[in-house]
Amino acid sequence: MNTYKPRILIVDDERGLREGSKRLLEGEGYLVDTAENGTEGISLGVKNDYDIAVIDLKMPDIEGLEVLQEIKKQRPNTICFIATAFASYETAVESTRLGAFSYIPKPFTPEELFHQLKQGYKQRTLLLEAERLKKEREETLLEVAHEQSRLKTIIESISSGVLLVNREGEVVYFNHSTLQKLSIDNLEIGEYILDKLPTQISEILNQLLNSDNIMHKAKTTQVEIMPKGQLFIEATCSPVPHPDGSFAGVVIVLKNITGFKQVEQIKNQFVSMVAHELKTPIAAVLGYLKLILDENIAVSYEQQQEFLGRSHIRLQGLLDLVNDLLDISRMELKTKQREIEVINISEVIESTLQFLEFEIKKKGIVLVKDIKDQLPLLSADQNEINRVFINLISNAIKYNRDKGSITITCRLKGNYIITAISDTGIGLKPEEKSKLFQEFYRAKNKNTRGISGTGLGLSIVSRIVECYHGKIDVESEYEKGSTFTVYLPINK
Amino acid sequence: MALIAIIDDDPDIIEASTLVLKSKGYDIISAGDPEEGYRIVSENKPQLIILDVMMDEPDDGFFLAQKFRRDGFNIPILMYTSVSKTIGFEYGSGEMVPVDDFVEKPISPDQLVEKVEALLQKEIKRSE
Repeated sequence: MNTYKPRILIVDDERGLREGSKRLLEGEGYLVDTAENGTEGISLGVKNDYDIAVIDLKMPDIEGLEVLQEIKKQRPNTICFIATAFASYETAVESTRLGAFSYIPKPFTPEELFHQLKQGYKQRTLLLEAERLKKEREETLLEVAHEQSRLKTIIESISSGVLLVNREGEVVYFNHSTLQKLSIDNLEIGEYILDKLPTQISEILNQLLNSDNIMHKAKTTQVEIMPKGQLFIEATCSPVPHPDGSFAGVVIVLKNITGFKQVEQIKNQFVSMVAHELKTPIAAVLGYLKLILDENIAVSYEQQQEFLGRSHIRLQGLLDLVNDLLDISRMELKTKQREIEVINISEVIESTLQFLEFEIKKKGIVLVKDIKDQLPLLSADQNEINRVFINLISNAIKYNRDKGSITITCRLKGNYIITAISDTGIGLKPEEKSKLFQEFYRAKNKNTRGISGTGLGLSIVSRIVECYHGKIDVESEYEKGSTFTVYLPINK
Repeated sequence: MALIAIIDDDPDIIEASTLVLKSKGYDIISAGDPEEGYRIVSENKPQLIILDVMMDEPDDGFFLAQKFRRDGFNIPILMYTSVSKTIGFEYGSGEMVPVDDFVEKPISPDQLVEKVEALLQKEIKRSE
């Protein structure tokens, strides 16, 4: 007791004993408070966390046992002694039952008192230590609980499904998203899961659960979940080891990959369409060449010339197609180096018309122009804007009737220069109109037979126009004609 | 000699195929789209149909073949396929594709003639 001075409360109505004990104990290094009756004893004993209280059993106002009870209720770690001259076995039993550490019969010698108090103080130290440990443990538990609830919140927030399965194939844990990904209404902890999973996943799970050694590699599969519209998920099953390395179970992460699948599907479709478009002219040319080369088939010189001429046209078309494809791919990858310059749109239209003059004259087409003077300038890549008007005007020629007309109007409205190109050609059926800007779509009917094209021209036009935050519209009446309207934003 | 109908939207393929088969003495009628194809078959009753798999839409050939069968045309159909090998998809004949044989484009004259003859022979045996 060198540095810390134990605090003692002495509750006794007998002044001499109270003061005597105080002096005695202070001499021994204790800090002593005294109370001259039960009421004061309770008030002090509850207010301060004394190490020890020595309470007289018989007091005029309140019984010592009641003081003991009150102090113990609030300060369970205060070591209480009951002191009394009326020592009896019953009071001894009763006071210990109520929480007294021991019992000091009066009168007592200083040695007796010191001895008892030392014992009591030892007990007090043990109690405090126990409480400290308990508190520490509770705090750790609380932290663990926090940690668990935090983890749970995190796992619940993951948009992927997370499903934990033990060695027996029973559900140990799952987040809400799991239900949605598997398109099932309910799962129970402890439920056998394998029958509820799509076959591809349960097969992998079975492999992992039944292997003799724990596998250290995750296995992944892709599954189409049917019931609620189109849903593709990717399931990754990873073995979970115990801390000692033995096999605990499998965690399955379910990810929605519908978007990827759709992109993949579009890509596959595009590839197969490209393959078809590339192969068609090659097949035609090879067919002709095989004919010409076949010794068993008589092909006249005129026929040979015709076949070679047709082959030439088909190969030219193939070259156009490859060039268009390269343009699209460049646009898609945005690797096309745009040379943005200031462009006068009426000049673009004029030069396009000059470029196509021969085709216009050949078909006897009448040209009507209404291009407003002093239109604002555009900032764009000259080649791209040329491309837009060459494609649109050459379409207006190609799909026009002989001696038809083309009307080109160009005006400013708001922030847009609006150019409309109308023809008096074959027009479009409503169902054809909606597909017009898709890659490789070409309206095929008796009117379009014999008109060549890659099926990419309008798709390229709409891509370019969209690049500049513009748009393109089409109005059309079958067998009457079409109007393509291009909106291009001007420099602000 | 047998009458053969060729239905393909590629005029160059029709031209080349026609020349090959005419050189073997067959009579040829042709059409450039499914609708017209159906018309020439019902009007001229050919002994064999050569049908392109992919016309306006990727499955036009299939649908036309199914329509022929539904409507009681039981003559052999030889189908021209185009991208099956390119995209790693092999056609097989069956209920969905009720045709008798396939020829992969580009067409080689020998193979075309061989397949046409084989189908016509089988048809003769069947009707005997």
